[in-house]
Amino acid sequence: MTEFKPVLLEAVGVPDGYTLASYRSRGGYAALGKLLREKRPAEVVELVKSSGLRGRGGAGFSTGLKWTFLPKDHPGPIYLCVNADESEPGTFNNRILMEDDPHQVLEGTIISAFATRATTAYIYLRYEYPQSWHRLQGAIDECYAAGLLGNNIQGSGFSLDIYLHRGAAAYICGEETGLIESLEGKRAWPRIKPPFPAIEGVFKKPTVVNNIETLACVAQIARRGVEWFQSIGVPPNPDNPRDPGSYGPKLYCLSGHIEKPGCYEAPLGITLRELIDHHGGGVWKGRKAKAAIPGGISMGLFTEAEFDTPLDFAGPGKVGCLGLGTAAVVVIDDQTSIVDFLHNSCRFFAHESCGQCTPCREGTSWSLRMLERIRAGKGRLRDLDILLEIGNTMGMMPGSTICGLADGAAWPIKNAINKFRGEFEDFIKRTNPEGWMVTDPVPALQIVGAH
Amino acid sequence: MPTVIVDGHEVEIGADERLNCIEAARRAGKEIPHYCWHPGLSVVASCRMCLIETGQRDPATGKVSMVPKLVPGCQTPVRDGTVIVTESEAVKESRARVEEALLIDHPIDCPICDKAGECLLQDYHFDHGQAERRADIHAFTSRKREVGPTISLFVDRCIMCTRCVRFTREVSGTGELMVTSRGAKEEIDVFPGFPLDNKLAGNVVDLCPVGALGDKDFLYQQRVWFLKREANVCGGCSAGCSIHTEHNQDTVYRLKPRENPHVNTWWICDEGRYGWHHLHDSSRILAAGRRPTGHSHGNGNAAAFQPVEWADVVTGLRADLEQAGRLTVAVSPMLTVEEAWMLCGVARSIDPEAFLALGHVPIRGGDESFPGGFTIRGEKCPNRKGVEEVLAVFGAGGRTWNDLLAHVASGHADAAWITAGYPAAWTDEATAEAFAGLPCLVVQDLFDSPLTAHATWQLPAVGFAERAGTWINVAHHAQSFRQAIRPPAGVWPEGRLYWNMLGRRGLYDPVAVRRQLAESSPAFAALGGDMPETGVDLRVRQLA
Amino acid sequence: MIAQGRRVITEAMVAEIESLAARYPDRRALVLPALHIVNRELRHVPLDAVVDIAAVLGLPPAEVQDTLSFYEFFHQAKPHGTVRAFVCRSISCALRGGDELLEHLCQANGISPYGTTPDGELTIEPAECLGACDFAPCILANDDLLRNMTPEAAEAELNKPRARAT
Repeated sequence: MTEFKPVLLEAVGVPDGYTLASYRSRGGYAALGKLLREKRPAEVVELVKSSGLRGRGGAGFSTGLKWTFLPKDHPGPIYLCVNADESEPGTFNNRILMEDDPHQVLEGTIISAFATRATTAYIYLRYEYPQSWHRLQGAIDECYAAGLLGNNIQGSGFSLDIYLHRGAAAYICGEETGLIESLEGKRAWPRIKPPFPAIEGVFKKPTVVNNIETLACVAQIARRGVEWFQSIGVPPNPDNPRDPGSYGPKLYCLSGHIEKPGCYEAPLGITLRELIDHHGGGVWKGRKAKAAIPGGISMGLFTEAEFDTPLDFAGPGKVGCLGLGTAAVVVIDDQTSIVDFLHNSCRFFAHESCGQCTPCREGTSWSLRMLERIRAGKGRLRDLDILLEIGNTMGMMPGSTICGLADGAAWPIKNAINKFRGEFEDFIKRTNPEGWMVTDPVPALQIVGAH
Repeated sequence: MPTVIVDGHEVEIGADERLNCIEAARRAGKEIPHYCWHPGLSVVASCRMCLIETGQRDPATGKVSMVPKLVPGCQTPVRDGTVIVTESEAVKESRARVEEALLIDHPIDCPICDKAGECLLQDYHFDHGQAERRADIHAFTSRKREVGPTISLFVDRCIMCTRCVRFTREVSGTGELMVTSRGAKEEIDVFPGFPLDNKLAGNVVDLCPVGALGDKDFLYQQRVWFLKREANVCGGCSAGCSIHTEHNQDTVYRLKPRENPHVNTWWICDEGRYGWHHLHDSSRILAAGRRPTGHSHGNGNAAAFQPVEWADVVTGLRADLEQAGRLTVAVSPMLTVEEAWMLCGVARSIDPEAFLALGHVPIRGGDESFPGGFTIRGEKCPNRKGVEEVLAVFGAGGRTWNDLLAHVASGHADAAWITAGYPAAWTDEATAEAFAGLPCLVVQDLFDSPLTAHATWQLPAVGFAERAGTWINVAHHAQSFRQAIRPPAGVWPEGRLYWNMLGRRGLYDPVAVRRQLAESSPAFAALGGDMPETGVDLRVRQLA
Repeated sequence: MIAQGRRVITEAMVAEIESLAARYPDRRALVLPALHIVNRELRHVPLDAVVDIAAVLGLPPAEVQDTLSFYEFFHQAKPHGTVRAFVCRSISCALRGGDELLEHLCQANGISPYGTTPDGELTIEPAECLGACDFAPCILANDDLLRNMTPEAAEAELNKPRARAT
């Protein structure tokens, strides 16, 4: 396959690539200047909308369309929240963007703020990225010094402040309204919607929340144009009038049982097998793959037979996964127990569930306890049915929860049991020969130690 | 008028009403189960028990399109054509799952939990839950945590509805309660050193759908299925909050707020909530008594009261007062409008020139308002306005307790009839001294006071739960209430005594008195018809 | 329910918190930044500091504690070690030995997860995905990302002196 020349990752490996000087030498901030001089905010919104850019944070919603939800002629202030809380297991592309090319992110942020008429942008940055903190703060300081931030940027009349706001290791702060609640100083319990953030967001003002990689794409669309963006990726399915396509380059994270873990930029639509073989050096240690997570653990699992599925916004759904998510691929070799995988997933979601709504709080907790009981040799076949029921009934899709964390918790359960049921049954029968068939209510395992 | 379709039945709602699905379904007689929603608190839609199916009926075609997934009824507003489905398989299964989820970690405390019998978790389990619990059952009882001077928290019973936390943040504005930790480990707690200690604290117990929050005043005192309840009004201050008096065998066990959008909405203050103990105080005056004539007044060696049969009180009291001469009467703001009217009638029938005045009005502090709008009044009696209106009917409008004291002090009275009935001490030696020289002093009260030493007649009084009648609060809102418990044996409520002293036959009928009062006095015209449970504005004149 | 008087936090910390006030239209938004400032200096946020922060921001202490406890991130009973080592246990690291790494390090240092060595030098905690799956299994020790760790390499790394976390 033809090698895709990185655009989003072009600064990686460039000495001092994170500095303003380096960014400018590579053409940075020229697009911003041009837009400020020549375009009105609404025109920039239209530009991004027409590009077909879809959010890279996990939901894949049309970025430009989301911006149009802001009320027209609002007196302000309008806020832009940059979601730098990247916490989806397997995902690390935002980290690389922030560490290695913070100015690309900032240019995208400034352009987006201009388009949405935001006057303050908060970058909600996860605690675990100290290097990103230093690089971003350094870049922000450089921007203020160079008149790219602050009052009346480049004489355009547009003013913007960008502030870093540090998280404290809670996954749910990556959820749009969880982020907003955390920013406001409260526990990060996602809000019920309506009202949507565009109408009533942070500090009760119109707010847009965008992902780091999305903003980097905005900078590139501004520089290289809509045609360029749409020359990459997958156009809409002509048979589906509601399909916005999967345009643009995508950062794919590759980790797990792979020879070369790393972040690889490729046009949207590369298949998982191509990613593993062409970029990742193949499954590690000469082994075969059993399964892979396609887009962060929330998205579920591909079986090895499904590895030829394209990783665009529409692909993973075709094989029963939740979606493309963060396009973070984690490879699982055939010597790994799928029971261990599901236990790890259930442990994560039980730990991270915000606890606000009953089905998720209790469902994630119960499914972890069941997995622990199963692993301890006290599982029953009936538990698989209960787990599936939990998986099928918790989430925004059935309408039973406030936010999508529950869907993310549910999909690995559903995919793992549906696609690897035989392995679960074998494990249960083998480890609990006396009790695997019991259908009566079973007591809890006594667990020592915290989650 | 907008029409909402609930399980196939049409129900009209007001054009200006903003209702959610729970409220709309109620209009159709359907109760959508819910834990976290409360009309007085912000909507959080977190318990997920109220999930229902909704849709919209096209006004033109009549075609119904349903939303493909369940939605919380509490956060979904209705409009014309909204379709609500509360009993489909999907809804039933969802409820059963919420119940199972809540019960997974719920302690098996029912036999020792106060809430049994009025617990939503119990009720919904029977109505909506599934027959068996399936897995990972662990038997345990709840930890108890003292969160404040009046409230205990049984931590593990909590279902995280957060009503209590929202109450302290939104209604009392004191913010003592918090959620700690995250996920299934969440608990309710207070910050060490900052206990749940505000004047509205008791409301969180009402709000708690389960037995997590307990009222120390009521804990383990009585099983709720033994309690009967009567619609009463709190007598603690001039706010006149609607309450339910909950009692068994003529003993009050607790008071609860009664919803009244015109007065207290859903809340009462702690002083009112716990302000019933005086009813069962063993030092109450329990019989009518008279000191023999010629006894010495107030020299510390006052003779004992001789008990008097009530039939003899009716005649003997009238005789004493007629013989004494110029009568003055303090009409207590603790009396009902009916009692006050009859008392004034009795007084004027004894002495046509009887000096009528408002009794002592206890004031403690000023009015205290809370962010949610609730106000505790500094005027600690329920019916000053009612008594003032009655006095006006008798041409004594505006006369105060101080006027009465001056009247007595300047020697214009030979007999005084002081009605009181306050739950706590209300007068002092210096004030009582003014009555020391009177030939005939009648004191009608709950407890002994400095007036007792000077009294010729001592008559018992009754408390709020032992009387029926009408009070009018600070905002001219009149509420009529029924009697909840009988007073101690041998005690005639004031109303019964006055009724008999007016020569009326049969049992005291406060409703008849109210209607008579309304017919005879335009100021009370609003009280003429059937009184709604939530009362009427006195200033609203009924059409003749 | 607002406490008065200062118990634990310093004027310098208060000044740093106040220096951020102009960034937000609502003082409550300073809660998390304030917690980080105090935590950076004291290596924990004791209850007395919560009262102080609440007083500075004009909030009931329970509301600050509510936020603090949600993150399960701030130690409160006593300071964490001068090195706070987060050992990742999410899927990418778990597939490459993350759980074993945590167990080994805890055993080697004689503490349980979330515990601190008696000399107050090292705290070891499990963490969820650190976002460094390209270097799994990994550890975040203060500001330093330790990459491609083995139990032996991790032990050696965590014995080294290290700049404190920002």
